[in-house]
Amino acid sequence: MKRNFIEKLMKAIFIFSAMTSIVAIILICIFIFNGGLPFIKEYGLKNFLLGQQWKPSNSPPSYGILPMIMGSLYVTIGAVIIGVPIGIFTATYLAKFSNKKLYKFLKPCINLMSGIPSIIYGFFALTTIVPIIRNIFGGTGMNIITASILLGIMILPTIISISEASIRAVPESYYEGSIALGASHERSIMAIVLPAAKSGVISSIILGIGRALGETMAVILVTGNQARMPAGLTKGVRTLTTNIVIEMTYAADTHRQALIATALVLFVFILLINIIFSIVKRRTLN
Amino acid sequence: MKKIISLTLVVIMSFIFATGCSKSSTSKDGVEGFDTSNGINVVSREDGSGTRGAFVEIVGVLEKDENGNEVDKTYEEAIIQNSTDAVMTTVAGDKYSIGYISLGSLSDTVKALKIDGVEASFENVQDGSYKISRPFNIAYKKDLSPLGEDFINFILSTEGQKIVVDEGYVQVSTDLSDYNSSKEKGNLTVAGSTSVTPVMEKLAEKYEELNPGTSIEIQSTGSSAGMQSTMEGSADIGMASRDLKDSEMEKLNHKPIAIDGIAVIVNTGNTIEDISFDKIKAIYTGDSTTWDSIEK
Repeated sequence: MKRNFIEKLMKAIFIFSAMTSIVAIILICIFIFNGGLPFIKEYGLKNFLLGQQWKPSNSPPSYGILPMIMGSLYVTIGAVIIGVPIGIFTATYLAKFSNKKLYKFLKPCINLMSGIPSIIYGFFALTTIVPIIRNIFGGTGMNIITASILLGIMILPTIISISEASIRAVPESYYEGSIALGASHERSIMAIVLPAAKSGVISSIILGIGRALGETMAVILVTGNQARMPAGLTKGVRTLTTNIVIEMTYAADTHRQALIATALVLFVFILLINIIFSIVKRRTLN
Repeated sequence: MKKIISLTLVVIMSFIFATGCSKSSTSKDGVEGFDTSNGINVVSREDGSGTRGAFVEIVGVLEKDENGNEVDKTYEEAIIQNSTDAVMTTVAGDKYSIGYISLGSLSDTVKALKIDGVEASFENVQDGSYKISRPFNIAYKKDLSPLGEDFINFILSTEGQKIVVDEGYVQVSTDLSDYNSSKEKGNLTVAGSTSVTPVMEKLAEKYEELNPGTSIEIQSTGSSAGMQSTMEGSADIGMASRDLKDSEMEKLNHKPIAIDGIAVIVNTGNTIEDISFDKIKAIYTGDSTTWDSIEK
């Protein structure tokens, strides 16, 4: 009797725990859609997404977020260009080339990288990358290149750990077969093992993109945050995330709703990325 | 053999990184002079900030067209920072930048410019000769508790305004009466502007000392958030570093508690000491983009 009760109690506790995260995500969805949709309906989806002017203090105000969408896009692409090659090569090195001693040192370093709070990356970039870029390109040093380098570094741990795992998951027989046919160690890895791990590597890139797109506190310090259409690699931009954080503290009324609607757009982007991720993953399993 | 090659590569790469760093640091410290042919790196606050709202209105960056529409013409290339400290850090680290911050927060890391020959000082804000200043407001619901009213009386008394002055702000009026405690007890929540928070903390500290049994909690959430929570009732008194919006004024009473000057700041390496009002406007609207156009 007593045992039966404990059985039921524990079952309830487990169900409750499982429900917590589901309830949280549902509440977030409700809040974001509830807060954002009325504004978009009123202002017009086209005006909101394709408007090139973000001037909330003007009267009448304009709330076009195309500059921020493009800003996020540029910075993310920049991060991918810088982070992905380094990440994949590092993963390949870790999985197939490095000796045990070096691996024991490198692996914890990469794990540590993913644990560093993003604001610290931001300060690092502000005090080291920004002055270097300022010396090379002139201007303020706060621009797309700086943000891309910073984000490229920040997505490395994600790309490296997932890519490494997927390279290690490739059956050893692929490698052995290639060696048996006379290919060298390097050729076997680059031409046989790495392509076989393709889907895992692609998932790592997608997750890296998600990380770059959602990054806020570090980016805010180094991009200049100008709310206008991106004007070149050596000019500043504002991303979707920083737009929300920068203006939320002082925003009121419609301005506040516009920022929540910006969050909605960001949320949809992240959702799309996750859907693509799960499609890629499913394809691997089949 | 392969090992040696890869080792040399690693050494060369780290060497390049190292030289890259040292080169940048020498050119930063090595060049002593201030080259006026350089562009002005404009630093501004974010849209909706109380400091920015006051600054663009006073300087004339906010323009009205014939239809009565207001247009904030802040230079599009301006770097946007979302706190006073971030503006100061940016200006302190960039020789060719210009920014604006609350006069009470001014420190030695940056240099405040004279405007039309008038120094950004406390006396000049008070007598009105320094032109860029704004009020700090508090707002409250009509049914404020007796404790809240007593606290506001304290802020606007001789003792309260003395604290305001000690913190580097200007008192709202010189005609003040002494504070008489009405011996209230209880808790009070004050929320709002990050610019008003430092002076409010000092006021609360003194008030709690004079009135044992009271406790004042201060939340630094930003002007709009402060007004929001005061309207919703989660805070008793809200702080705003800007004028209240119409929607807020409908529901709240408000009073100015101090006047704050806005200092126009540049890097300490900048050779310019004095700037005219019109040139500030020209910089912030993007009409003047190099320092030599300011120096003449």
